[in-house]
Amino acid sequence: MATVTLKNAKKQFGAVEIIKGIDLSVADGEFCVFVGPSGCGKSTLLRMIAGLEDFTSGSLQIGGKEMAKVESADRGVAMVFQSYALYPHMTVKQNIGFGLKMTGHSLADIEGRTKRAADMLQLEPLLDRKPSQLSGGQRQRVAIGRAIVRNPEVFLFDEPLSNLDAALRVQMRIQIGKLHHDLKATMIYVTHDQVEAMTMADKIVVLHAGRIEQVGSPLELYHRPNNMFVAGFIGSPKMNFVNVEAGTGSSLKLPGGGTVKIDGMKAKLSGKLTLGIRPEHVELAKKTADANVSTVVRAAEYLGSETMFYVTLPDGTEAAVKADGLAKTQVGDTLLLHFPPKACHVFDPDGKTLHNGDLSK
Amino acid sequence: MAQTGVQPKPRGFWKTHQKTLAPWLFLAPGIAMFLLYVIFPIFESIWISFYQWDGLGPKTWVGLQNYRDLFADDSFYTSLKNNLIWLVLYLLAIPMGLTVALFLNQTVTGIRLYKSLFFFPFVISQVVVGLIFTWFYAPDFGLLPKLLQALTGSGKDFAVLADERYATLGVIAAGLWPQTAYCMILYLTGLNNINPEQVEAARMDNAKGLSMLWHIILPQLRPATFIAFVVTVIGALRSFDLISVMTLGGPYGSTRVLSYFMFEQALSEYGTAMGYGAAIAVVLFAIMLVFITIFIVRMLSQERNS
Amino acid sequence: MFPRPIEKSAPWVGIAYKVFLPIALILWLLPLIGIAITSVRPASDLASGNYFGMPSGFAFVENYSSVFKNSNIGWYILNSFRVTIPTVIGAVALSCLTGYALAVYKFKSNLFVFFLFVAGNFVPFQILAIPVRDLTLKMGLYDTMTGLVLFHVAFQTGFCTLFMRNFMKALPFALIESARVEGVNEFKIFWHIVLPLVRPAMAALAVLIFTFIWNDYFWATVMAQSADVRPVTAGMNELKGQYKVAWELISAAAIVAALPPVAMFFLMQKHFIAGLTLGATKG
Ligand SMILES: Nc1ncnc2c1ncn2[C@@H]1O[C@H](COP(=O)(O)OP(=O)(O)OP(=O)(O)O)[C@@H](O)[C@H]1O
Ligand SMILES: [Mg+2]
Repeated sequence: MATVTLKNAKKQFGAVEIIKGIDLSVADGEFCVFVGPSGCGKSTLLRMIAGLEDFTSGSLQIGGKEMAKVESADRGVAMVFQSYALYPHMTVKQNIGFGLKMTGHSLADIEGRTKRAADMLQLEPLLDRKPSQLSGGQRQRVAIGRAIVRNPEVFLFDEPLSNLDAALRVQMRIQIGKLHHDLKATMIYVTHDQVEAMTMADKIVVLHAGRIEQVGSPLELYHRPNNMFVAGFIGSPKMNFVNVEAGTGSSLKLPGGGTVKIDGMKAKLSGKLTLGIRPEHVELAKKTADANVSTVVRAAEYLGSETMFYVTLPDGTEAAVKADGLAKTQVGDTLLLHFPPKACHVFDPDGKTLHNGDLSK
Repeated sequence: MAQTGVQPKPRGFWKTHQKTLAPWLFLAPGIAMFLLYVIFPIFESIWISFYQWDGLGPKTWVGLQNYRDLFADDSFYTSLKNNLIWLVLYLLAIPMGLTVALFLNQTVTGIRLYKSLFFFPFVISQVVVGLIFTWFYAPDFGLLPKLLQALTGSGKDFAVLADERYATLGVIAAGLWPQTAYCMILYLTGLNNINPEQVEAARMDNAKGLSMLWHIILPQLRPATFIAFVVTVIGALRSFDLISVMTLGGPYGSTRVLSYFMFEQALSEYGTAMGYGAAIAVVLFAIMLVFITIFIVRMLSQERNS
Repeated sequence: MFPRPIEKSAPWVGIAYKVFLPIALILWLLPLIGIAITSVRPASDLASGNYFGMPSGFAFVENYSSVFKNSNIGWYILNSFRVTIPTVIGAVALSCLTGYALAVYKFKSNLFVFFLFVAGNFVPFQILAIPVRDLTLKMGLYDTMTGLVLFHVAFQTGFCTLFMRNFMKALPFALIESARVEGVNEFKIFWHIVLPLVRPAMAALAVLIFTFIWNDYFWATVMAQSADVRPVTAGMNELKGQYKVAWELISAAAIVAALPPVAMFFLMQKHFIAGLTLGATKG
């Protein structure tokens, strides 16, 4: 059993508070991904769990046991570093076995575990090489192998794939996913990469400036963001935000005079608001009558499978629209847009969500 | 308490305190030696400077008398003046080293060997450098008088080191030889680390020759210049070997510097004025302290920024 | 590259450069070349005033063997090795420890201790000389190899610590953290991970300290008296008195005394320069 529970965890470097009170529970065997903008404290939080940074206050429990005073070696965690941290003067085999050897495991035991890890990660042909003789992906696998042999209850990964090229990243992503499935260990994974977060996570934790903005499954965050920050952060390309004004009932006044009526709106709307809609949910309208807003195309990317239009609304707001690959509109042309009410999110002036359009219903 | 689940394993003192104790265990031998042989002696010297002491018998407290004597001693002022001359002229090693480095920063065949050979004077001991230059300056048969003779028709018996007017300059010139080599190697390394693309970019912006040197190259060589400054100042104030080998402070004490003067007073065969010697050392130390402070402040700010 | 590479200039510039280069070198090393030539001149040349002409014969064997036979220089050179080698080992070993402590651990007085080493390394020798000689006398180590070596080790630890600490600080810290997470204790991390990785720094320090100590003259004079302890630098000065005007012998002795550090430099050039130019490229 290795749940990981943080209670009001805080961390200061000198006078600067970097982690500002985190409450989080990661279930046994769960794959939990931390995302957030650069500098928001993802690595710091991970390192606190690993025992590489002390807590300024708050508590951490792993498997129900309080960890504040426990050395990182005794926490049952293994960490995979972004830089891999392979010992350059040791062979792959020695790298994998080093920690075990230093903590007094028998040679037979080390052999057995190394073999098992090497099997899992297809490392046998590499065992006698030095790290400098390995490719990036191979180094990454060795680093993971080094974590596996310790039979940890919790794996910690800090942007493990960020140094790899796109193709390798896909491959490693699948490999780590498989590993998680085979080992059934708890994994906490820090990444910058949207796709990694969406595809690998059971649970995503969105961090911003040392606080949690939202915790949830990938689709939950995509469809029902709690606030504008999460809405803008999850999903690529970014959600469009349009300044609107509350009209009568549950209708919203768009720039240029059009309106959109939001179905199933529970909150009472008034004053200035923000409407959010993802580029992939915006539809192109054929006739003025179907359109909510008329825009001018500033730039277009014809990708074959799809076309991205970057448009300007009548009030000058920039927005992105994902259309199918056959769209013929050119830069400078007018583009009529339709916002399906079911795909619209509404945020109050503080950025809090008033309404999530739910396409899945 | 006792019933509530697992007792935490009792953890040894060592295990709990490993991370706080480890650095001090690693430091202990080095710090002990350094304190004993470097840090404490500084304070002990300051303390001795208030005594009259022949090095063997009992010490007599004389307060500031040693300093009063020192400030009334002509030799002290000669030494101080020479130290100043050393300091100023020694700094020439920096532009000279830069010039040589710029001259050698090419990629023709064999340039590596040339660089090594230019650096050569720094590797050999100052005692040997002193001997070489003594011979170089020797009247009648030395190379310099011969060259003078050949060029100007006179000066065959020009004795640099026996002439009060030129002796110090002669010794400094000998010192500049290895010191220039040292600065050269610092600048060669610095030049080697300048991003070539930046130089190309500057060239596109029409920077050439001296303006390129001044606006693009020198700013990037600042770390090298700083180190060159540090080692040159230290070298100038530490100057001892050359004087001892070439002139023994003479003629008539005219080439003494504080370090040599102190040696004469307290450490040489006939020097038994420990208190007086210590006082000279303290003055030298005080001068050095100004520079040490500058270095440390600058290194500290670098440390903080990194 | 600055200045502009010579290959990109007009051909005559390149030729002029290649012609001037050896001339500049000869001028630069003129005093040394003079000494080297003198050291192989027959004594008769000097007696007859032939200081700069072609040597009338090649007296390499005579002069050098005479120096070794008629003086203690062989013994002094041996003494130099006996001082230098233990000092190199001691200072490098101590500074690996101190450098590690200062590079890897965060503790309150870390920077203070570091700058104590750095500052101590800059002080003039004269402020140390009286107490150090006194201390050595009291320990009964005056005029012994041990006394001289102990001081050198202590003093060089300052520079070596500066060097080692900066080198270790540049190692990827994740290596150490990774080992910590694996439960490797601090001493094993030092021994199995950090030490193997700082070998180049150890080599650089070793050649530098070798040269510094070999070339030391001040402490050799202050701390050693008898011929049993006197290193070659102090011995050279004595020879100069002994030979007076026999410059062919003085020159030969000077060349002999200069040889070991020169050999060291040429064998370990890369390390030597890396050591000397520490800090000249960043900051
Ligand atoms: N040892 C430290 N001392 C002082 N400040 C630190 C230290 N470590 C991290 N910080 C600061 O804490 C903040 C969070 O850093 P952290 O490395 O956790 O960010 P991150 O979310 O992992 O960013 P990235 O995505 O760029 O890796 C940063 O502003 C950083 O400057
Ligand atoms: Mg990070």
